[in-house]
Amino acid sequence: MRLFLAAVVCRLLRFIGRLVGKGSSLPGKYALKICPDVLGRVKLPPCVIAVTGSNGKTSTVEMIAAILRADGKTVVYNEEGSNQIEGVTTLILCNSTLGGKMTADVLLLESDERYARRSFRWFHPTHFVITNLYRDQLTRNGSPEWVYNAILPALHPDTTLVLNADDPLVSCFARGRGRVKWFGLDECAVSTKEHHGVYHDGARCPACCGRMEYSCYHYEHIGHYRCADCGHHRHDADFSVTALDLESGTLTIDKETEISLAFKSIYNVYNILAAWSVCSLAGADKAVMARVINNYVLKNGRMVCFTIGSHHGTLLTSKHENSVAYNTNLGYIAQRAEPCEVLIIVDAISRKYFTGETSWLWDIDFNQLNRAHVKKVILCGKYVNDLAMRFDCTEIPGEKIVCCDTVPQAVQLLEGDGDAALYVVTCFSDRDKLLNLAKREG
Amino acid sequence: MELTIAHLYPDAMSLYGEYANITVLRRKLEALGVEAAVREITFEDAADLSGADFIYMGAGTERRQKAVLNAAASLGARLKAAVEDGAVLLFTGNAMETLGASVTDAAGKVWPGYGLAEFTTVETDRRDPGDVVAASLLWDTPAVGFMNKCSATHGITSPMFSELPLGFGNETEHGPEGYVSGNVFATHLTGPVLVKNPHILDFFVRRLFAVKGWVCPEALPELPHQRAAYEVTLRELRARI
Ligand SMILES: [Zn+2]
Repeated sequence: MRLFLAAVVCRLLRFIGRLVGKGSSLPGKYALKICPDVLGRVKLPPCVIAVTGSNGKTSTVEMIAAILRADGKTVVYNEEGSNQIEGVTTLILCNSTLGGKMTADVLLLESDERYARRSFRWFHPTHFVITNLYRDQLTRNGSPEWVYNAILPALHPDTTLVLNADDPLVSCFARGRGRVKWFGLDECAVSTKEHHGVYHDGARCPACCGRMEYSCYHYEHIGHYRCADCGHHRHDADFSVTALDLESGTLTIDKETEISLAFKSIYNVYNILAAWSVCSLAGADKAVMARVINNYVLKNGRMVCFTIGSHHGTLLTSKHENSVAYNTNLGYIAQRAEPCEVLIIVDAISRKYFTGETSWLWDIDFNQLNRAHVKKVILCGKYVNDLAMRFDCTEIPGEKIVCCDTVPQAVQLLEGDGDAALYVVTCFSDRDKLLNLAKREG
Repeated sequence: MELTIAHLYPDAMSLYGEYANITVLRRKLEALGVEAAVREITFEDAADLSGADFIYMGAGTERRQKAVLNAAASLGARLKAAVEDGAVLLFTGNAMETLGASVTDAAGKVWPGYGLAEFTTVETDRRDPGDVVAASLLWDTPAVGFMNKCSATHGITSPMFSELPLGFGNETEHGPEGYVSGNVFATHLTGPVLVKNPHILDFFVRRLFAVKGWVCPEALPELPHQRAAYEVTLRELRARI
C-alpha cells in the first residue's frame, strides 16, 4: 500500500514539476519519505546497468542507451543526470506500474561516485561499469582513493563489474571478486614509454604503495602497469581496442570491428569501449553495436563555434578542478598546425558551490601550449593572478602571455588584435560569460 | 650562496600541487642569489637528510600516509638529527600528523609517528574538505588555503595558527591549527601553501637565511602576481565568514 502511495505521489509531483519546470529529485524525495524502502519493493527489469567514474559517465550512458534501443530493447535512464538516490527513485517510480513493476527491458543509471552506496542499498545492478578514477573536484571528493572507498561498499557480490583494465586504481575493485569483465586498450600509436604530465598518480601502487612499472602509457596514469612489490597488474582485457589511429579517427575492437570516431580523443575511445563491453554482456548484436557507435555524435558533443572581432573561435569546455579535462583540451590545441591564440578563463571555480581553491591549476600541464603556433595566451577572470603565476612556472615565453581581469576586457582586447584562430578553454561555470559577448556560429 | 632542500616522498605524498611549494621557494631564493639544490627522496632511497637545510613533505591519501609511516620507521631519528643540525622543517596536509606520537586510522589501528612531537591524531570516516582563513601570531596577515582532512589532532599546545576564522582547526572548528616548535612547522593546509601565501614564503626564506647565517635584505623581492592572487583569495574567502 505504501509502495502504491509512494508511486502515485511521485508521479503526481513529477507531473506538476514538469509543468513548472522543476528538477526531478523532489518527487523521489517525497516517495522515499512515504516508503523508505521503496527501491527494495519495486520489481526491476532483468538488466540493470550502472555507470560511474570520474570522467565520461554521461557520454558512456548515452551511447549504451542508443545501442540497446537500436537493438530493440526498451531502456529507461536518467537523461537529466539526476544521479543521486532521490533522482533514481523518481526515475524508477515514474517508469513503473502503480503496482511497482518496471516495464522496460533495461534500467540504465549514471551513478554519482560518492553516493552510489545510498542508491544501491535496496537493489543492485546486474552490471556495474567503472570508467576511471582520477583527480577531480578534490574540494568535494577528497581524493581518488576516498572516492574508491565510497564506491567499494556499493558493489554487490552478485553484480558483474565491467572495469577499465588500464586504470590501476579502478582495477583494485576486482580484488577478491569473481564476477569481473575487463576492457582496455592495447599498446598502439598513441601509447608512449614515458609518462607525461606534471604529476603521476600511477607512480605508486594503489594497493601497496610499491613502485609501479609501466610498459606503456596511453594518457596520464592510464596504461599497462605492474607493481614491482605486490604484483598488482593490468589484467588481460575481455574487450580490447586492438588498433587505434587518432589522426585518421579509426579504432578497431577485438581485431574485427572497425569504428570511425566523430571525436578524435582518447577519452571518446574509452567511452566507446566501455559502452561496447557492457552492451556485449547484455547480449546486444555486434552489427547493431557497430552501426550505432560508428561516427556517433554525442548530444553535448558538438563543438561550440563563435566569432569575436575577426577571430574565429572554438570553445573547448573543460572542467575546473579537473586537470585531466584541461590536459585533454590543451593537448588538442598543441596538435593544431595553424597559428592561434588561446584564452583561458578562471572566474567562478564552480557553478554549484563556492570555493577559492586553485591548487588544481598546478596539476595542469600548461606547458603543452609552449608551441610556435600558439602566438598568444590570454589569461582572464577573478583568478587571473593565480593563472599568471602558474604560467610563470612554465617554459612559455612571458611576452606571449597577456592578463585581463574580466571577460569583457579580454573580449575587447581580442576585437582589436587580428584574426588568428582562437581557442577558449574554460568551464561550464564561466563559458557563458564569454559566449554572451560573442557572435555564435552555426 | 647554496642550500639543500630535501623533498620527502614527492611521488607518494602529492595530493595536489604540493611540488609547487618547492618551485616557488627555489624561485624566491634564486631572486636573492641563492642556488637551492633539491634532493627528492623516495621509499627506495636511504632517506639521506645530511646537509639538508629545508625538509618538506606534502599531503597524501590516508593509505599513502600509512605507507610513509610504515616504510620509514627510522625516519624519525633522522628528522630529529637534521633539526638538531639546524634544518628547517615544513610538513603540510596529513604529513603533519606523521610528526606526532601516533596516528589511529579509521579502523582503529594505531600507527606510531616519527615522534618529533607528543601530539596524537585520530582519523574519522567523515571528510569535510573546505576553504580556510587562518590567523597566526607569526604573521601580520592571515593565511589562506584549503584543508582536506578527515582527522582530529590532540595535544598540541604550540599551534602554528591561533584561530581559523574559516575552517577546522586541530580539534575544533575555528580552533587553533597546526604545530610549531623551534624550526619544526606543520599545518594541515594542503597543496601549494607557499604559493598562496607570500608572507609565509617570505617567513621561510628569512628563517633559512638566519639558519645559514646570511644577511637577509630588509625587503624581499616579490614573485610577480603572488601578492595580487593572495589578496583576491583573501577577499573572496572573507566574504564567506
Ligand atoms: Zn603493489
